[in-house]
Amino acid sequence: MKPVPDPASRLVINEAKTWIKDKDLTFVASEADNYALEEALRLKEKHEGEVVVISMGGEEAARVLRSGLAMGADRAIHLLDPKFKGADEFAAAATLSKAIDKDGGADLVLAGVQSDDLGTGMTGTMMAEFLQWAHATVVVGVEAGADGKTLKVRRELEGGINETVEVPAPAVLTIQFGINQPRYASLKGIMAAKKKEFKVWSAADLGLAGDAVGQAGAMYEVKEILVPEKKSKVEILGGTPDEAAATLVERLRREAKVI
Amino acid sequence: MIFVIAEHKDKKLKPITSELLVFAQRLSRDFSRPVTAVVLGAGVEALAGELKAKKIDRVIVADHPDLAEYTPDSYVGVLKSIIEQEKPFVVLVGHTTQGMDFAPRLAVSMRHPLIAGCVEYEKRVDRLILTRQVFNAKMNMKTAVRGEPPYFATASPGAFPADEVESGANAEVVKIAVQPVAPRRKLLELTGVQKGKADLSSAPIIVSGGRGLKQKENFSLIFELAEAIGGSVGASRPVVDAEWLPREYQVGSSGQTVSPKLYIAVGISGAIQHLVGMQTARCIVAINKDAEAPIFKVAHYGIVDDLFKVVPALTKILKELKTG
Repeated sequence: MKPVPDPASRLVINEAKTWIKDKDLTFVASEADNYALEEALRLKEKHEGEVVVISMGGEEAARVLRSGLAMGADRAIHLLDPKFKGADEFAAAATLSKAIDKDGGADLVLAGVQSDDLGTGMTGTMMAEFLQWAHATVVVGVEAGADGKTLKVRRELEGGINETVEVPAPAVLTIQFGINQPRYASLKGIMAAKKKEFKVWSAADLGLAGDAVGQAGAMYEVKEILVPEKKSKVEILGGTPDEAAATLVERLRREAKVI
Repeated sequence: MIFVIAEHKDKKLKPITSELLVFAQRLSRDFSRPVTAVVLGAGVEALAGELKAKKIDRVIVADHPDLAEYTPDSYVGVLKSIIEQEKPFVVLVGHTTQGMDFAPRLAVSMRHPLIAGCVEYEKRVDRLILTRQVFNAKMNMKTAVRGEPPYFATASPGAFPADEVESGANAEVVKIAVQPVAPRRKLLELTGVQKGKADLSSAPIIVSGGRGLKQKENFSLIFELAEAIGGSVGASRPVVDAEWLPREYQVGSSGQTVSPKLYIAVGISGAIQHLVGMQTARCIVAINKDAEAPIFKVAHYGIVDDLFKVVPALTKILKELKTG
């Protein structure tokens, strides 16, 4: 589960233009990760087992993990180390998969299809390669196979097409928005979360050298973050709602000639 | 050498392949490197023929019955062996559900950088700077890859204009023998969304509603406006996810791609997944109270105001025009 700035926050680029000013922001779990956790909880309810939430980062990651425990996860692993800062998708995937290894592996790793910050949707798939497991991306349906060793997974492709694939376990699935309706944590869940196992591991605990994690382990360097220039020549129609509507109809008839 | 990994379906190149070729042709000019298109599949001679007519230097064809269907394992295995042998500078892949299914694995298996979702690039001295969108397309991030080539990049659909692909003179076609590995993941079935009354692909006017409508019941505003203007109704992904409307109404990368003469986006912020599905509309109108919403970047006319006031006013005027 990835901590990202609350979607309601106003994002300001930092002085070095390498990231946003994140000191005073509130962090929440990236939206797609909630769908992944909900899917994990539903699979557990159907087939038994254990749901472990894992996150990398500072106090904001601990917060996201606590909310995951409150939703119903059984235990949490917090990857906490100043060396983890500045990780790209490659370094994050390397670190997360090492932690899963150390924890004794898993039958299934579910990740959000993409995060609300970097948003490239590659960390989960990269983890599959580090773990040498099969994977499927943009998943909109998961069913355990009758043999207990495979999964039937529905992927969403472009143009409203879905494909159903068979994937052997263990596997990594990246979960699409809207696959389910994530539950809210109950008061009982929040209370119970306080008693659940909460591991904290550093790079040294994972046996990872400093140059393999965080910014040092990243495959690219962020040169600059910027708000893209508006290329469009949008004409904003002003006035009261009635006036703007009237101007719009006029423009569509006389200028664009589309109605 | 610049590699373009061709994406195709039903014996046809997908539009993203032309976009990748445009990206490659521009890189080729700036970095003085030849372009090679790589096509994997079974019985893909015709595709190779289509590719070799573009202004590129070479087409590598890996034709094998086991490549008839895409699987990440077969693509990663075959591409890795070709890339290790050819040592390209850049490998371009579509930022699509297929491209993003194998490119991250391929990059990790070779321990080389992947910059995903590129929208533009620049050359700084001799270095390649790739720009991609972050924070749901609100910001751009310029990145410099580390280490030795090859560098992998996926290109966002719509970022490079497919119609600017240059034709050329008969590129060389090289057929290579490959032995794909047995894939772990197996395709069982393809299912399509039924095209019912919400087949928007040929609709001349579309009125689409988004999360800004706040609740299902308010969608009646969209249907009323669509009726008054003689258009069809569409929706953004969050609306469909919330089950206000069935999936068949969805416009965007995971729904329908539309190109009407008029597209009115109401209460839609304009996530990149939505924009790629409608940005080729001839005239785009955005009605949204957030002036910073990305939808205004592709719109021709914008009204920054409360949709609950603007839409009824618009419907009223259009109805009056009709009757009188």
